[in-house]
Parts: sequence; C-alpha cells; structure tokens
Amino acid sequence: MAKKTIRSIPQDRADMPVQDPHARTRNFDEVALGFSLDHALVECERCLICPNPACVPACPVNIDIPGFITKICEKDYRGAYDILTESTLLPAICGRVCPQEDQCEGVCPVGESLEPVAIGRLERWVGDMAIREGWRNVPYIEPNGFRIGIVGSGPAGMACAADMAKAGCDVTIFEALHQAGGVLRYGIPEFRLPNEVLDAELDNLRALGVKIECNTLVGRLFTIEQMLDELGYDAVFIGTGAGYPSFMGINGESLNGVLSANELLTRCNLMGATQFPKYDTPLGLGKRVAVIGAGNTAMDALRVSLRAGAEEVYCLYRRTRNESPARVEEVEHAEEEGVRFEWLTAPIEILDDGNGNVRALRCQRMELGEPDASGRRRPVPIEGSEYEFAVDTVVYAIGTNANPIIGQTSKIALNKWGYIETDENLQTSIAGVYAGGDIVTGAATVILAMGTGRQAARSMKAYLGIRDSQSIYEAPKIDGLPVFGIDPNEKSHVRIRVA
Amino acid sequence: MADTKYLFQRNETWWVKVAVPRVLRDTLGYDLRRSLHTKDLDEAIAIRDPVVRELRQEIAAARAKAKSGRACKEPAVPDDPNGFEILRREDFSDVTFLLEVDAPLLARAAEPGQFVIVILHERGERVPLTIADFDRDRGTITLVIQAVGKSSREMQQRCRKGTHLHAVVGPMGYPSEMGAEKVICVGGGLGVAPIYPQLRAFKESGAYVVAVVGFRNKDLVFWQDKFERYCDELIICTDDGSAGIHGRVTLGLEKALEAHPDAERVIAIGPPIMMKACAETTRPHGVETIVSMNPIMVDGTGMCGGCRVTVGDKVKFACVDGPEFNAHEVDFDDLMSRLQRFRNDEAVAFDNWKKAAS
Repeated sequence: MAKKTIRSIPQDRADMPVQDPHARTRNFDEVALGFSLDHALVECERCLICPNPACVPACPVNIDIPGFITKICEKDYRGAYDILTESTLLPAICGRVCPQEDQCEGVCPVGESLEPVAIGRLERWVGDMAIREGWRNVPYIEPNGFRIGIVGSGPAGMACAADMAKAGCDVTIFEALHQAGGVLRYGIPEFRLPNEVLDAELDNLRALGVKIECNTLVGRLFTIEQMLDELGYDAVFIGTGAGYPSFMGINGESLNGVLSANELLTRCNLMGATQFPKYDTPLGLGKRVAVIGAGNTAMDALRVSLRAGAEEVYCLYRRTRNESPARVEEVEHAEEEGVRFEWLTAPIEILDDGNGNVRALRCQRMELGEPDASGRRRPVPIEGSEYEFAVDTVVYAIGTNANPIIGQTSKIALNKWGYIETDENLQTSIAGVYAGGDIVTGAATVILAMGTGRQAARSMKAYLGIRDSQSIYEAPKIDGLPVFGIDPNEKSHVRIRVA
Repeated sequence: MADTKYLFQRNETWWVKVAVPRVLRDTLGYDLRRSLHTKDLDEAIAIRDPVVRELRQEIAAARAKAKSGRACKEPAVPDDPNGFEILRREDFSDVTFLLEVDAPLLARAAEPGQFVIVILHERGERVPLTIADFDRDRGTITLVIQAVGKSSREMQQRCRKGTHLHAVVGPMGYPSEMGAEKVICVGGGLGVAPIYPQLRAFKESGAYVVAVVGFRNKDLVFWQDKFERYCDELIICTDDGSAGIHGRVTLGLEKALEAHPDAERVIAIGPPIMMKACAETTRPHGVETIVSMNPIMVDGTGMCGGCRVTVGDKVKFACVDGPEFNAHEVDFDDLMSRLQRFRNDEAVAFDNWKKAAS
C-alpha cells in the first residue's frame, strides 16, 4: 500500500448525520446519530498513521489511536475494539463526550491544513458496534484476595474499578444515588449519551466481577476510616466528584424559579421529571429560561430546557463565543435548536414578581479587556449598560465545587477549596486511600476523570504489591525520553512534516 | 338485489353484524353479532337499523372506557422485592402513620437529627424524612409520615408490612450537637416524632430534658409513653384543649422557659411557621435555639442546591450543611416561600393520582 500523504487522503471529513433540529427539540433521542460503516471507512483513511503520533500522548488515557484506526482500515472492527479497550473502559461514552478538539484531534497533523481526523466519532462508532454486537473483553482474572472499595460510580470510579478488577481484586463500588453512573447518569442528558450506552458499559463492568451498591452514602453510612478498619477493604478510591453547585451571590437567588443546572439535569435525567406526572418528580420550568454560563453543562441545561417545553431559551455569558469552555459541537447544536446566545452579558440582580417568583433579570453588558491569569480576556462591565430582561426561570451553570461529605466525615486532608489533597501518585493523606476525578482536579472532563481513575489504580496496585499485568498494553511511556532528538512533550515538535 | 348491508344469514335466520375497530378487538372481539330471529329478508331489513344503532353504541361505550382508562390508569408500579422491607406499620390517625424499615447499616450509623431520603417505587420522587427512631439491635429505622401530598398519601396506601420501599438512603446531614445540661425539646405536628431520638439521646447523656409536644386534639396524641420514659417533664399542648394545655406549642414553650430560666438550649422541630414562632418565643430569653430545616430537595447529597436556605445572610444547603441551624439566624419567610415552589405541580400530581386510584 502506498504511503498516505496529506494530499492522497480524503480531503473532507465524513459528515456525522444528525437528527433534524426542529424534530429533535421535541424528543430526548440522541442528536448525533453516529457514523455509518461507509462514513467510518472513509474517515479512517484520513489518518496518516504517523509513526510518532501526537494524538496518543494528548489522550488522557493514551489510547493507541493510529492502532485502532489501522484496524478499521483493515476492516478488523473487533481488533479495533480490542485495542480501544486496552486503554479505555468506555469507548462508546468517551467518543461522545470527550472534548476531542482540545485533546487528540487538537494535535492531529492533518488538522494543520485540513479538518483533523474525526477520532472521537470513529471511537464512538467502534464502541457502538461493540454494544450492538455484544462484544465484551473479559480477560482471565485470577483472584488475589484484595478487597477494594470505590466511592462514587462516576467515570473516575468506573475506570479505577475496571483496572482493579482486571488485576484480580474484589471490587465494590458504592453509589449514593439510586442508579449508578454518577455524572454520566444524572448530568449528561439522554440526547447526548443514551442510557442504554451507559447501561451497556456498566454491564461490562459487572462482567469483570465488580459489584455496584447503590443507595450507599459513604461518609455518613460508614466512613472512609471504617471501610479500612472495620469493613476489611485493603484500599479505597474516592471519586465523589465536584457536584456542589455554585451560585453568584447576587440578590434574588432564593426566589422560586432560580435553580442550579445540576438540579435541572438531575430532575430530568435521573428522576424522569420530563414525564411528570407519570413520574412523581416535578420540573417546574417556566416559559422563558435564562441559563447563566456557557460551558458544557450550560449547553446541556439549555437543550434540556427546550425539550422540556420552554418557549424561549437564552444563554447568558460574560465573555464571547471564543472563550466559551463548551465543546464546539455542543454550541453549534444548541444554536441550531434555537437557543439564543447573549454574549458579553452578565446578570447583576434577579427581580421578583411580588409572589416569590422570578420576573426578570437585571443584566449588564460587558467588553473584553486584558487577558487574565488563565489567558482568557477578562470581561469588563460597560458603564450604564444595565437593562432588564424578562424571564421566569434562571438556571445557574457557572461551575461546581467539591462535594463536602467525605471531608466532613473523615480526617482526610483537603486543600483550601475543599478538594482532596493527593501526592503525585494520587494517594491521599490516609495510607491506602486514593482519590481521583473532579474531587481532586476540580470540575473537568469525563475522560480526565477516567485518566486519574486509572492512574490511581496503578498506584493502588503498587501499594498492594500487585504486579501490573496490564502495563504491557499501555501506550509506551515517553516521559522525558527524547525520541530521535525530539522532545515528545513539546507539542510543537511532535507534528509530522508532510511533504 | 335487496340491501343486505350489516346482514348475514345463518341457518336461514338473518343476523346483524357490525365490525369492531381494530383497537377494541382485544376487549370486544372481531365483530358484534345479533340474531334478528327472522328468516324473511324484508322483515330483517325493516328491523335492522335500531339493532345496528344499539351495537354501535356498545362499541362507542367500549371506546370511551378504553380512553378514560388510558388517560388516568397507568399500570401500577410493582413492589420492588430488592428494596427495603417494611417490618411494621402503625397508624396513629387517619393521616399519620409509622413505618419500621429493615435497614441494618442505616440503623447502625443513624444519629439523632439526621434524615433519610425515601423513594417509594421506581417512578417515585426522592422524599426527605427525618429519622424518627432507630433500633441498632433490631437493625431497623422508624419513619413517621404525615399523608399530605401525593407521595405521602401513596405511601399510606401502598406501604404494608412485608412490602418494600424502592430506596432508603442516608443517614444524611450532621447529627445533632449534644452536650447540654438542660434542654427543652419542642415538637409540633410532623415534628413530634423526629424530636424523640434527640430527647432520648439527651436523656441518655444525663441532661435534664423538658419536652413540649403539640397536637390538634387528644385523638392525635401518640408516643406519650415513649416520651414520658425519656423526659423529666412532658408538656402536651392541644389546639382544642382536649389534652394538656389548651394552645399552641409556643404557649407550652413559654411556660417551660419560665419554669427553667437556666435551660441551655431549645430544639424545635415542626412546620416552618411553628419553628418561626418558637424562634420568636425564645429570642427575648436569649436561649440558644436549634431548628431542623425541611426544604425541598432532590438528591440530598449536596448536588442539586434545591435545599438552599438563608441562615444569617449566608446561603447554606440544608442537606450537607444542616439540617439543623440556629433558629435566630434562619430566614423563615424565605423557607416558607421556597416550599411553595411546586404548589401547582403538587396539585396536578395529586389530582392525577386520585383520579387513577378511583
């Protein structure tokens, strides 16, 4: 086969079929319908199969991306799935919810002159095929007698549980809610991540021998210390996430009609509030909804509001579209569905109607000033630009903080923001207790949480003295080792020069 | 040829036949037939029309019935055998009842002042309920429920000994702070049961305990023996004076404060309006007063923020920062306003459920 070059590959990205914007605002079915076989076979040809790929180190779990794409080109789909599952537990989920443009696709050399290879969509395609075909990679596991407790069934906990179970440990996941999955269940809506996909991935976990105990509030039902001392766990992983929603502290936040995006999403995704009164949980959403913030959670809240029957849905963000932390695709989808964006706008007060409900927002226009510490240009209020904006529901999606329950109930060391302090191996101040995901890093992404979950599993195995049989599958470690005189950690050098 | 519409012959006798719409064939069969008891075609044609009309009406009635059935009769959600078993039920009145639930881990961990979240069935909502009692030896927790809204009335209807609650999770919130020499515990309405484990814990820690409990009338009084066992003085108040003091709990509280000016702490649990009144009663006396907040919440783990309450100009989440707060700092008006948040939805849910039940 002739070597592929940037000129010889298909120039245009295969289009992802999506549900019609008008139809989809009336249902909770998945918006992005996924590649067909033809799409996938075209798209996989666009990968140059770089000998020293930039995308692998850019992936938080170091998936062998050229490897699995090669398998798709060879039409060995099962082989592609096998390569994916060596590094990721949840290809169907990560292909959907990873911010690929900041990770693998962001460093793809094809992206320098064309659209980068749609790595995420290919990953999702393989993951979906595995679910459809019932593929499952359950390795031979020899029990080693260690008992591992995992607190939280979100992505970090699931990743850690899978690695420990594969190493032969007896793993139990504890979940406080009545359904497993953490943020994948209560946070990410069905039209972005269908419940069947999550259930399939949870079943994969159970097939590894992992037990999942719902309705168990660790910290209050039993503490971390009790797990080690009384319940006989040899090591514990904490992945309780950053679910504590932030509010702005402006006037009127206690009015009815002001809620966090978490509450809106939990009511809809976990409690079935969109089917009220068949389901008992009400939603109480108004007709004109303003969502404050423009991250992924904000996009989810906006799009859920539309589907739940709001007539006009506005996104208020104090910076511009360029600074929005949401995935590009989510902003585009929200726009197509009729969400109206009010960039450079910040609320300064919530006004009431005299009966304890929201009547309007008082807003202020902003302009971008000098870049701040994070490199984003700081929004500066414009004097005299205040105006009233009639809405009946205000949803806060301006970020979340550490969940406080573990900190309240154990002696574990926290930093000043309430996140759990860990060393570089993710070990906490208590020996044998590890932590990962948002409760360590602060609110981040699903894949990053999975990455820390796997890293904690590696440390845990070292702590317990388990030989890490999985390490042979892991992407080659290239930390600090210059390959051909190029420092691979220096992103600009990893790019491949194309003739 | 004669008009034989709707007619057919069977053993020479003429019959009427009307086709049944596809959606009703499960209940009525493929068609409806009736004999006209005549072998003469002209006679059959003459008496045909009223019979056809009658059969049509039969179909229309079946259709209406099916439609109304669809509208309000969702198939009942089955009992979840993997849930938490109810070991005992006791009815105190036509609205108040007690459930003793098998939950050994919970019973071991529970402390006075904490609450649980209960889900009745898989379509149910998450209902926060204060733990009214726990028995570590039997491995049970006790909940006292007042049937006021849809979920609680459905619990009253469905929960029997041997049935299951879909989920019980907790214990949530900080336990009550102990360590006082003399306390006054006030419970009103649905707050009478939750005050019990607190006064028991205080008594067991050696404190002098005065209890003030309020009911509407004599018939609604419950657990008097349990209260008497664990407190040094018990003041019962009834709205109609049929038992104890004639008046609200604030009257009893006032009397208790007069008799015991050295009381270190007052703990009041009940409806917001009662807790507010208690806070105002104790404020001039300068006694530390603790109330247990019961705002609307979803998850109870600090995730949704629906339960935020204003305490001393700060916003707190009742589920993880509470549920107990200093009564003199709580903004009760804010709490009461926020409890009205789903008033319309609650009415819809209740009407819908009542229609389905009848």
